[in-house]
Amino acid sequence: MLQGALSGLAAGGVYAIIAVCLTLMSRLVRVVNFAQAATGMFGSYVAVWMVSKAGIPIGLATVVGILIGGLLSGLIGWIIATWLSEADTSTRSAVTVGPLLLLISLSFILFGNKPQPFQPLLAGPAFTVSGVVISQVTVVIVVLAIVVAAASKLVLSRTSVGTKLRALSERPTTAELIGIPAKPLGVAVWAITGIISTIVIVIVAPSQSNDAIALSMLIVPGAAAALLGAFRRLDLAVLGGLVLGVIQGTVAQIDQVSFVRYFLPFLFIVGLLLWNQRKAVWDAAR
Amino acid sequence: MSVLSLDGVTVSRGAGPVIRDVSLEVVSGTITALVGPNGAGKTSLLEAISGVIDASSGTISLDGEPLGKLSRVRRAHRGIVHIEQGRAVFPSLTVVENVRLASGNAARANEAIDMFPELEKRRDSPTGLLSGGEQQMVVLARAFAAQPTFLLIDEMSLGLAPVVFTRLLPMVQRFAEDGVGVLLVEQFTNLALSVARQALVFSNGRVTFQGEASVLQQSPEVLHTAYLGGSPAH
Amino acid sequence: MPRASFPRVLAFLVPFLVAAGGILVGFALSVGLPGYFVFLGTSAIVAAIAILGLGIVTGSAGMIALCQLTFAAVGAWVVAGLNVIGAPGGFVVWLAFGGVAAGVVGILVGLPALRLRGVNLAVVTLGFAAAADVTLVQIQFPGSVTGTSIERPEAFGTDREFFFLGILVLAACGLLVYFLQRSRWGSSWKAVAFSERGTASTGQSVPGAKLTAFAVSAALGGVSGGLIAGQVGLAFASSFSPIQSLALYVLAIMSGAHLIDMAIFGGLLWIVVPELLKRWGVPQDWAFVVFGVLGVQALTSGTNLGTGIRNLWWKRALRRSAVPTKSLSHDVDPAPPHRQPSRGEPILVVRDLSVTFGKVEALKKVSFELVEGTVLGLIGPNGAGKSTLVDALTGFLPQHTGFVSLDGRSLDKLSPTRRARLGLRRTFQQDRVPPSLTIDAYVRFAARRRLSTPEIADALQFFGCPPASTRLASVDVGTRRLVEVAANVLSQPRVLLLDEPAAGLSHEEHVDLGRRLTQVPDRFGTSIILIEHDLDLVRSTCDSIMVLDFGSVLASGPQDQVLANPDVIKAYMGETELL
Repeated sequence: MLQGALSGLAAGGVYAIIAVCLTLMSRLVRVVNFAQAATGMFGSYVAVWMVSKAGIPIGLATVVGILIGGLLSGLIGWIIATWLSEADTSTRSAVTVGPLLLLISLSFILFGNKPQPFQPLLAGPAFTVSGVVISQVTVVIVVLAIVVAAASKLVLSRTSVGTKLRALSERPTTAELIGIPAKPLGVAVWAITGIISTIVIVIVAPSQSNDAIALSMLIVPGAAAALLGAFRRLDLAVLGGLVLGVIQGTVAQIDQVSFVRYFLPFLFIVGLLLWNQRKAVWDAAR
Repeated sequence: MSVLSLDGVTVSRGAGPVIRDVSLEVVSGTITALVGPNGAGKTSLLEAISGVIDASSGTISLDGEPLGKLSRVRRAHRGIVHIEQGRAVFPSLTVVENVRLASGNAARANEAIDMFPELEKRRDSPTGLLSGGEQQMVVLARAFAAQPTFLLIDEMSLGLAPVVFTRLLPMVQRFAEDGVGVLLVEQFTNLALSVARQALVFSNGRVTFQGEASVLQQSPEVLHTAYLGGSPAH
Repeated sequence: MPRASFPRVLAFLVPFLVAAGGILVGFALSVGLPGYFVFLGTSAIVAAIAILGLGIVTGSAGMIALCQLTFAAVGAWVVAGLNVIGAPGGFVVWLAFGGVAAGVVGILVGLPALRLRGVNLAVVTLGFAAAADVTLVQIQFPGSVTGTSIERPEAFGTDREFFFLGILVLAACGLLVYFLQRSRWGSSWKAVAFSERGTASTGQSVPGAKLTAFAVSAALGGVSGGLIAGQVGLAFASSFSPIQSLALYVLAIMSGAHLIDMAIFGGLLWIVVPELLKRWGVPQDWAFVVFGVLGVQALTSGTNLGTGIRNLWWKRALRRSAVPTKSLSHDVDPAPPHRQPSRGEPILVVRDLSVTFGKVEALKKVSFELVEGTVLGLIGPNGAGKSTLVDALTGFLPQHTGFVSLDGRSLDKLSPTRRARLGLRRTFQQDRVPPSLTIDAYVRFAARRRLSTPEIADALQFFGCPPASTRLASVDVGTRRLVEVAANVLSQPRVLLLDEPAAGLSHEEHVDLGRRLTQVPDRFGTSIILIEHDLDLVRSTCDSIMVLDFGSVLASGPQDQVLANPDVIKAYMGETELL
């Protein structure tokens, strides 16, 4: 049981980081980015290709891959900020279905539809807890999740850029009227969450099923985790990711119900959404 | 000395023109009051000046230079500050954060807050917890910190008791004394006219009076017709 | 108006004739096409049926559904299962069962939609698609391990014949969708996509509209999946992957799949684009890249092919027929503007109604009565609580305190839908009229009763609206709101609350509208509360007036008394003593 739970911790950390990115995006640029994990997938595939086909050193390739992930995300953000600056969250989010489809297909074309020969950046155990080995990947991912959430929180609450971003998220028009440049700041948020998603996928891809669809669909458990914080609270997003991972790991150990683990994110999503929306009745304020 | 001028400005919204053919000049250091019943298109006119919406025809220029398609952010940087209707504060931001948004200059921001003793005590409270009157003080302080050349104020008194509003009005006058050109849309007609030099009365999207505010104050029948309809005869 | 004079029987027959024509063409194709294209053609048919379903849930009802092929998988699974156990009835019956089963699953997945909307629903459907995909890979389709191929019906055993069966099923689905789209259900889908508040205010249940959309859409998905199973013989999870659901969604959006012909066009694109790429020596995977790019274009611009083509067509048709521009008809005798307030019974009684938002008291103990057969004017400065009062009375603010009764019946705890059905109707200050309907469809939908064509034409003329065949999208907002008034009056409510119905009309039209409103109580048996800023309109329409200021009743009574009250003039003009 403990082994299962702890083995789910690495996955949980990934969910947590994706959830933090989704929460930041939802709060700051009013988008649920369906392509959040797909941009990370694409960036990390580019890195793998550069190592295995072009013989570029792994460190450099990884950095380039991460930058490409950020660039792609920034590009989608630029498109949405240019043409849909006043549109509602649903319309803005629906657009990201296009890049999700596009990036998966493009990766099939460029890299084939087989899992990629990822070279692990981190390997080996970190330490052992009552007989269960905790890998370095697990430790790094969980720490990274907490660090990313805490850093985002600090930037938002303590820096002037953070104050501007919060102002934009609360009243975009008012913020623009006092001269806060909405578009560059918004695109920057897109690019940074793109970079973070690529980093986490580069780290975990070697140690899990890493075909393009599986990696892109990390968006689903990520969204489930973000919903615990109602797409607003970063700490709950991290907690949601870790809890979901641990439960999935535990359930996977029990043979009779192991298939339930596939439905866990879905059930998580439905349950949390219904809870969050229990008071919201109407679609418009008036 | 700056001039904000409107020449034959018409603004449309969905259904068609909401305000037609407005020509107007606002110079530094004066207050211009825009009055008239709701739905007359005053808000849309301010929005066209600050770039929230586009004017469908006519020219809006700053010191003779047409603003054209300039974005609202650019217009704000040119010194046109627009205080929207309602409480235009960022509720989760503290008073200090709200005011500093408008100015990188911390001294100027502090000076702005210091003008309102009520705010000084609540510098670090989220503005969402302040009363309506205090929130409007935050908005005014933020506008002061921004050091505008022109200030557009839309129904600052909305939902405020008249007594509270009379506390805010001297601040508007202070802007004018500092050389800011103010466009004041206001439902408290007499209060607005008492501080304004120039006045425009709007009714059903058209200007029905344009001239000295003092003249308008002495001819209440013009206002009466604009608000209550009918002919001014009875 | 050539459309209105079109014989009704013929109008009813047209879709059947089109379907019959389609079947004939399909038969010719099934005989004449080269074998390779027959298989591709069947795939196009299957995709078209799935897209037809998406057209309902996404195109008409405006919900983002990213799991259409999961519903198809349910259909395929049921067909394969019934095949393995040798259920009676054969393929066509299994196909129907597959559709029904998928419809049931659709309702289950749609249940959260009762509380959710927009992007949240998209997350739910994507989550469902991802979970079902992994599960399907694991449990496999019935018969796929043993290699039990699905038995086609005898008459449609060959690929060519099966293609023709597909054509027949497509024609049946097309007809079904055609008539559903023109029914109350269809109107309710388009209404709920535009505004849930507006939908509820017409007495239509919002959950009902969403669930029917989900169920029909999923059922069509199930039918398409069943056909896939029959086409390939052995179904595999790879035919129903989430990425294909995404591609179908994008295709439905860009083609405009709420239109039946465009759904079929979408099905063709599904096959033609990869096929063309293959001919040009480009890997077929590029097709989804193309779909992705086109999808981003369609979603960012908010346009689609079908609507674009139709708009062009309508523009030309409009130029040719030169539809008369709207004007209030002047053949209605103006009623005397000042009637004595009648001494009827109070029909709407309000006692101590209060509403608070957080710390703000928006309404403070408001009490009044609306006398049957009269028009009550509600005026007051901006922010006085007028719209809040309308919201509270019509059930949109369930947290209000106090007592409201209509015709002696307490409205306590009743939903907006229930209140509307009991005869308490409202219009909105904002545009809440679904632009995707024609005036005729909207009026019939909002009136909730059987209306004859002359009755509608009469009411539309009375309020100066364009003819019934006009599309709402083509008229301005001011006119739409007049149509809203006409439709609500036609529902013959006991009480109708009009929230600034004249906004967007010219001043002359205001007064004209007022003259008509005064006749509504006698003509339609409806009492009216009119919120309005233009006092000329109020003066020409209202028997009595109530003034709200800061959430309380400042004055009420006969109009001349109220309008002469100095307090009212002060409040209205915002005058205040300078102390």
